[in-house]
Amino acid sequence: MEVNWLIIWDFIPQLMKGAQVTVHITVVGLLGGVVLGAIAGLMRAYGNTVINAIAFVYIEVIRGTPIVVQVMFLYFALPVLASIRIDPMTTAVLAIVINAGAYIAEIVRGAVLSISKGLTEAGLAIGLPRWKVIRYIVGPLAFRRLIPPLGNQFIVSLKDTSLFIVIGVGELTRTGQEIMAANFRAVENWTAVAVMYLIMTGVLSLMLRMIEKRMRIL
Amino acid sequence: MTDAIIQFRNVSKHFGPLKVLDEVDLDIHKGEVVVLIGPSGSGKSTLLRCINGWEQITGGDLIINGMSVLGGNKVLREIRQEAGMVFQQFNLFPQMTALQNVAFGPQEVRGLSRKEARDLARELLAKVGLAEKADHEPSELSGGQQQRVAIARALAIKPKVMLFDEPTSALDPELKQEVLNVMRTLAAEGMTMVVVTHEMGFAKQVGTRLIFMEHGKIAVDGHPREVIDTPPNDRMKDFLQHV
Ligand SMILES: Nc1ncnc2c1ncn2[C@@H]1O[C@H](COP(=O)(O)OP(=O)(O)O)[C@@H](O)[C@H]1O
Ligand SMILES: [Mg+2]
Repeated sequence: MEVNWLIIWDFIPQLMKGAQVTVHITVVGLLGGVVLGAIAGLMRAYGNTVINAIAFVYIEVIRGTPIVVQVMFLYFALPVLASIRIDPMTTAVLAIVINAGAYIAEIVRGAVLSISKGLTEAGLAIGLPRWKVIRYIVGPLAFRRLIPPLGNQFIVSLKDTSLFIVIGVGELTRTGQEIMAANFRAVENWTAVAVMYLIMTGVLSLMLRMIEKRMRIL
Repeated sequence: MTDAIIQFRNVSKHFGPLKVLDEVDLDIHKGEVVVLIGPSGSGKSTLLRCINGWEQITGGDLIINGMSVLGGNKVLREIRQEAGMVFQQFNLFPQMTALQNVAFGPQEVRGLSRKEARDLARELLAKVGLAEKADHEPSELSGGQQQRVAIARALAIKPKVMLFDEPTSALDPELKQEVLNVMRTLAAEGMTMVVVTHEMGFAKQVGTRLIFMEHGKIAVDGHPREVIDTPPNDRMKDFLQHV
């Protein structure tokens, strides 16, 4: 079979639908992941021994196991253990939340702890309550340091969505495989899929770089 | 009862098995300028840090302006508003200008309006000789200037006592004086101060009282000029020869 790039136009609409699912899982998953990661990271940075230990165990379990295994666990083991059955799409979003949350927690913790202890003391010394010290002094500084590693994690998570193929979620990679099975156009198909991932990660990088620039001016 | 603004009652402080303050009794009255000296590790910083609750005392009681440091978090926050603290490493908030550094406390803690807080900050920056640096960020200021902003920031919450932990130790010799001068002015205005320092000239000139600490105890407590010129014990004499 000769390579015919024009054929890509025939299945572009289908791939776009798959890309949409990928974006949906990524965005919702990362929103949850940021919230969960911020909470777990702050628990690590500021919590007492018990709270710290809970966050520590969560982070280590997730970072110490492959995301595919986590997905399998959510989708196949959880129904057996807890009689909770969730559909593939929800499983995918949940997996990103839990997985990205653990990595983001470490990012948040690192950023918070890298802000000198002296600044926290200086804030408390003028009589500020601790939450105001975090909200107005340590937080904004930590946030600036957060952006680059956070962006990195966003891109990793976006690409991780491709493995939800294992539970049959119709995201971009899965869509590519379906098209592949129908027309056997391997070169055209996987090139198109790769380019679409590149566009998505590229846009994400660009957005992050813009935020970074804005932050530096602030 | 005394009218002491700071009352150490048999205060001890342990770090694990290490006894850093050993049953300290000390009354500091309004308007006193107490200079704390002593060898490294003798507990000077710890004594200072107990006053506004950075370190929790492990024995006795410590009363600041009528409030015990054992009174819980809320009381502790009130105590911190009565006792301003200046650190060796200035610890200015790097994302804020000099003016914002000073205005932040009064606005967030004392509940002043934004305008009132900024006016107060301007006034205090002028007082420490930095009116023209109001809109500069800490990174654009020299160490001496940063420390003066830090003093203005501490003054902005209208404390009754000012605590200084080696405020000039991180500064080049030529920058020490500008900070000491600000402290001199404060003392002249009647501010109650507790100062850990190695500046014996300042101690003699400005101090109303000198305390020499040793192994977590107050070994000497007297008038600065008298005890510096004729140290009542050999270890203090030894110490003075080395600063
Ligand atoms: N957070 C801490 N944990 C354990 N030991 C400490 C702590 N802070 C101070 N120390 C110890 O307490 C002693 C007194 O310290 P410090 O009050 O800083 O002395 P100084 O200011 O007179 O040099 C030192 O032996 C020091 O190592
Ligand atoms: Mg010290």
